[in-house]
Amino acid sequence: MAEKTASRSKRLMTTGGIIFLVLGIALYFLKAPMGLTRKIYDLPVFLIIIGICSAIKGFTAKDKTEEEAALAGKTFTEFLTNNAILLAMLVLVVVICILQPRFMQIRVALDILTQSSPKLIMALGICFALLIAGTDLSAGRMVGLAAVISASMMQTATYANRFFPDLPQLPLWIPIAAAIVACMLFGALNGFIVAKYEMHPFIATLATQVIIYGVCSLYFDMPPNNSQPIGGIRPDFAQIGQLRLFNGLWKGFPGISILIPIALVICVIIWFILNKTVFGKNVYAIGGNREAAVVAGINVFRNIMFIFILASLLYGIAGVLEAARTAGATNNYGLGYETDAIAACVVGGVSMSGGIGKVGGIVMGVLIFTVIQYGLQFINVSPMWQQVIKGVIIAVAVAIDMTKYRKK
Amino acid sequence: MRKVLIVTLMLMLALGACAHADDVKIGACIYRFNDAFMLRFRQAMQAESEKLGAKIELADGQDNQSTQDEQVDAFIADGVNVLIVNPVDRMSSQSIIDKAKTAGIPVVFINREPTEEMLATYDKAYYVGAKAEESGTEAGELVASYFKAHPEADKNKDGKLQFILLKGQNGHQDMILRSKYSVEAVKEAGIEPVELAGAIANWDKLEAMKIMNGFIMSIGPENIEAVIANNDEMALGAIEALKAQDYNTGNPEAYIPVVGVDANASALEAMDKGEMLGTVLNDADGQGSAAVKLAVSLAKNAGAEGADGKYIWVPYQKVVRGEKQ
Repeated sequence: MAEKTASRSKRLMTTGGIIFLVLGIALYFLKAPMGLTRKIYDLPVFLIIIGICSAIKGFTAKDKTEEEAALAGKTFTEFLTNNAILLAMLVLVVVICILQPRFMQIRVALDILTQSSPKLIMALGICFALLIAGTDLSAGRMVGLAAVISASMMQTATYANRFFPDLPQLPLWIPIAAAIVACMLFGALNGFIVAKYEMHPFIATLATQVIIYGVCSLYFDMPPNNSQPIGGIRPDFAQIGQLRLFNGLWKGFPGISILIPIALVICVIIWFILNKTVFGKNVYAIGGNREAAVVAGINVFRNIMFIFILASLLYGIAGVLEAARTAGATNNYGLGYETDAIAACVVGGVSMSGGIGKVGGIVMGVLIFTVIQYGLQFINVSPMWQQVIKGVIIAVAVAIDMTKYRKK
Repeated sequence: MRKVLIVTLMLMLALGACAHADDVKIGACIYRFNDAFMLRFRQAMQAESEKLGAKIELADGQDNQSTQDEQVDAFIADGVNVLIVNPVDRMSSQSIIDKAKTAGIPVVFINREPTEEMLATYDKAYYVGAKAEESGTEAGELVASYFKAHPEADKNKDGKLQFILLKGQNGHQDMILRSKYSVEAVKEAGIEPVELAGAIANWDKLEAMKIMNGFIMSIGPENIEAVIANNDEMALGAIEALKAQDYNTGNPEAYIPVVGVDANASALEAMDKGEMLGTVLNDADGQGSAAVKLAVSLAKNAGAEGADGKYIWVPYQKVVRGEKQ
């Protein structure tokens, strides 16, 4: 019986994939003659991609042992609860595609990935604090700090309201480094108060958050700028966030935003750190059971310092990218980003009680959030309703997660 | 008895000082110092006071009405001859008017307008500001005149203007009036406006950029004929989103006219580059100097010169630059 289930799910995936693939190819060639171009847009391409992925997965899936198969195939309802948020997202995507067929465009998919990228960088930073059963409320304000510092030194020589009127045109790396180092200093402060005084990260980072905003506002208020939004950003700096690779590779191809590869690289590095280094193991160990970690001889102080500094490095990068992408900055940049990042982590299966969480899950969490937000905006759902829906998603996702762990 | 005498004497002295034209002392309450627009306003007021030989003292209300009320009390206790107040909450202006009335000194409100009923309760209460509806009208006119001068701007050739409206903070008087009157102005110019989509972007560049990006994707840039924003920051956010789709980068085939309000430095630069069609200048300098002039003349009992009843309206100015004109 169990054997049957295993092979059946494998077969289902393979055949499903091939059906999608064939359908996609057929539609691809038929859409123009059938006059569907303006009705289904790039749907065929998406079908082909889904088909190929599904088929490959079906082919390469290992034959499950009896026990595993029994576990995996247990019940249909369990499958539903385990993937409820993902399924809800898929339903939403289908609904949006019906309501507004323009959603089925490659450029929309790329746009969603672009918007996910800075959020992913934030989430990867904050996940360290979550993994040691903490949190980091200062993340958003660090984004603002990095954005303001980098933008303030990256204005064109001719701009009327320059932040530093006599500043020469600096090489790109100086302001970027300055912004990131400033963030890392505050990260070190976070780490120090958490590790040294064993303060709960919630309080420690709350204090730092307020300090950072104050410092950033003071800097931003320096004459002659006096709290005016920073503009007149140098094009070479803006390119760091706006460059599109392979733009116009074929007609109508919008290009791949530079943010996507940046986020991918960071993602790989963080995955490596968490899974393949001693530091990564220590993070899980401290989060799982702090006392045990101390007894096992892990230097908790050093590890916690490193966690917050590494996280602030990522926030700094996100802040610089945000300034470059929008070609501007104010001290309000990054407001509330930490809650979005925490929410994405939690939806992606990171436990607030520490020790549990995977990079893959975080990527999923960020994508789910961005797709839902983007989709709701796409069909013009009021921002107030968007908030309500976002809150419901967080609550439902965590509730499902909790029941899962409780069963174990 | 002696006390009464002393108080009367002091009052007479104070009144004497008031009548003396040369040392007018103005107490000015600003709702929040780190507001870019109010900064320009403050600088204009200081310059004008210096020119007229009046003393001006400024107080930062820190966006808190009770702090500001205390500052008004302190100014009155300090013996200023006239108050200039930029209320934190315009609906709480009545208590400030009452304080000024009790002290018998004139009060000039700036930038945030008390209701007509409030101003009517005291003969020496005035308001200097700009009519928000005018900024809306002028922004609308900028779009309408561009649309008329450039037949290619009517992308679907239906003679109507399909536009996107980016709005400021919900419920803000400027947001309501600018939104309403910019659309009215397009209608006045004989073009039927069609609002493809409108959204609240809270005066914010980043938020406007995200929202505009969504509209570009869902509506398609080829279907958008104009973007009207309640302020420049949001207009600039929309332009960043357009630039990411290779719009408004100099190619006349891919251009959507965008207008804002404020005429800040970034907007002027964007206009120079031809990325932005135009903006409307909210004349902080003009309003600042008009407020001080009025205050000084009231303090000298010289009447309210140039006032229209209890109001002085400083007009907005259209700003258009670059080759797209």
